[in-house]
Amino acid sequence: MAEQIATLPYGVGRASARWKLLVAFLAGIAILGWYGWYLEIRRGMIVTGLRNIGPMGGATWGFDVGFVVYWAGVSFAGITMAAVIRIAKLRQLRPIARMAEALTVVALILATFAIMYDLGQPFRGIINLFRYARPQSPFFGTFTLVISGYLFASAVYLYLDGRRDAAICARTPGRLQWFHRLWAAGYRDTPLERERHERAGFWLAVAIVPLLVTANATLGFVFGLQVGRPGWYSALQAPAFVLLAGVSGIGMLIGIAAVVRRTVADGERLSDDVFRWLGNALMFLLLGYLYFMVVELLTNVYTGSEREREVTAALLSGRYAWIYWGSVALFVIPLALLIVRYFRRGGGLATLVASGIMVNLAAIGKRFLIVVPSQTHGTLLPYGTGSYVPTWVEWAEMAGLFAFGALLLALFAKLFPIMPIGERDDA
Amino acid sequence: MKRRVITLLMVAAGFGLQAIAYLFLAAPLGIPSAVRFSNPRVPFAPALFILGVILVFLAGVVYELMPDRAGRSTGEG
Repeated sequence: MAEQIATLPYGVGRASARWKLLVAFLAGIAILGWYGWYLEIRRGMIVTGLRNIGPMGGATWGFDVGFVVYWAGVSFAGITMAAVIRIAKLRQLRPIARMAEALTVVALILATFAIMYDLGQPFRGIINLFRYARPQSPFFGTFTLVISGYLFASAVYLYLDGRRDAAICARTPGRLQWFHRLWAAGYRDTPLERERHERAGFWLAVAIVPLLVTANATLGFVFGLQVGRPGWYSALQAPAFVLLAGVSGIGMLIGIAAVVRRTVADGERLSDDVFRWLGNALMFLLLGYLYFMVVELLTNVYTGSEREREVTAALLSGRYAWIYWGSVALFVIPLALLIVRYFRRGGGLATLVASGIMVNLAAIGKRFLIVVPSQTHGTLLPYGTGSYVPTWVEWAEMAGLFAFGALLLALFAKLFPIMPIGERDDA
Repeated sequence: MKRRVITLLMVAAGFGLQAIAYLFLAAPLGIPSAVRFSNPRVPFAPALFILGVILVFLAGVVYELMPDRAGRSTGEG
């Protein structure tokens, strides 16, 4: 093996006092979220703001389902980036491949939790999905295939891609040596092993791309195929879901890459080129998504049915207007910043990170608007309009998920190199 | 050669299991006009479909991790 290192790279195995403080803080919020879930299981869904559609004037899907869609979307961009980097041999983007893979696995774990939060009887629900679900149904594609097949595939990809670095780290004595040895599983970085790894990695990447497009498109179909639900029934839902998934995921990846560049030793391997590439990708995806938004809005306003127009009115000038226009602003402002950045061929990292944060806030807003207004304002039965206000339990659960995700990534970065070590000769 | 054969067999078995579970074991295809369209023909047919997906990706792990033949320092691709 070419590389021999005296200490583990990128701060692996070394925890500063600030890092420990951060971990304790994140763990505290995550525990608060799980306490909320405990209350939900113990007392029932009454502790949430969810109520039956129609007679109870509520929404049965709220924050939880909105965040299932959001986290699945974030995972989409992570593994897409990793796969595209390998398939298209984008050598300059290799430093972000590992964090993109880790982000995917973490985001899918969070999506799993969000699904379980939504189920009144989570364990019964999970068993029954595997027992009775129809593979032809979008629900199967979303809640079963995404969580099991897609999570497994992403974990395999992360594992195999990390073997070489694990083997390098395993040569450094220390408390983590056993872990790195276990991960390396006998890898010695011989030319044939490298060739084998390149081949396996390429085919895994090729296999993952259709799986993740299917998984995210079926998320869109869960809503888009419901003909009796104005605001949801639309052929644009599936492709728009995929595009927004890319927007939120790349925005998240920009934030993580910026944190790594600033906090990790040797973080400058994440060059300006990497951020320029991410910024441009985000800009084009944003343009595509905004186009979809405008097309959908014009269709609903121009020729929508009466109920369709009611939902649209609730979005544009009614109860949900502040979320809708807030989301639009949080899409348009970053787009303007990214376009300026594109033509100037550069710009501050802070602008890019701010854009990443803004598009994620907008994506959360849009996911909420996709899920909730059609339930409170889109019923075809003769019921009045409903309402949904999340309780502190739901807020705590969602904050807990963000904290748990950050905690997992922070722990991962101390157990394993968050960026690939060195460059491959055959890359 | 053995490595490739086992990997390809796993991939074929994975896709085969997916196809069989989807077409013959899960709830029947078609317009759901009767109760029989609601339940799978074989219990846990959806789990078998997922197992097929997992098998396909597990083939990658087997391909990389399968030990080389004794006495050889490098394996065959």
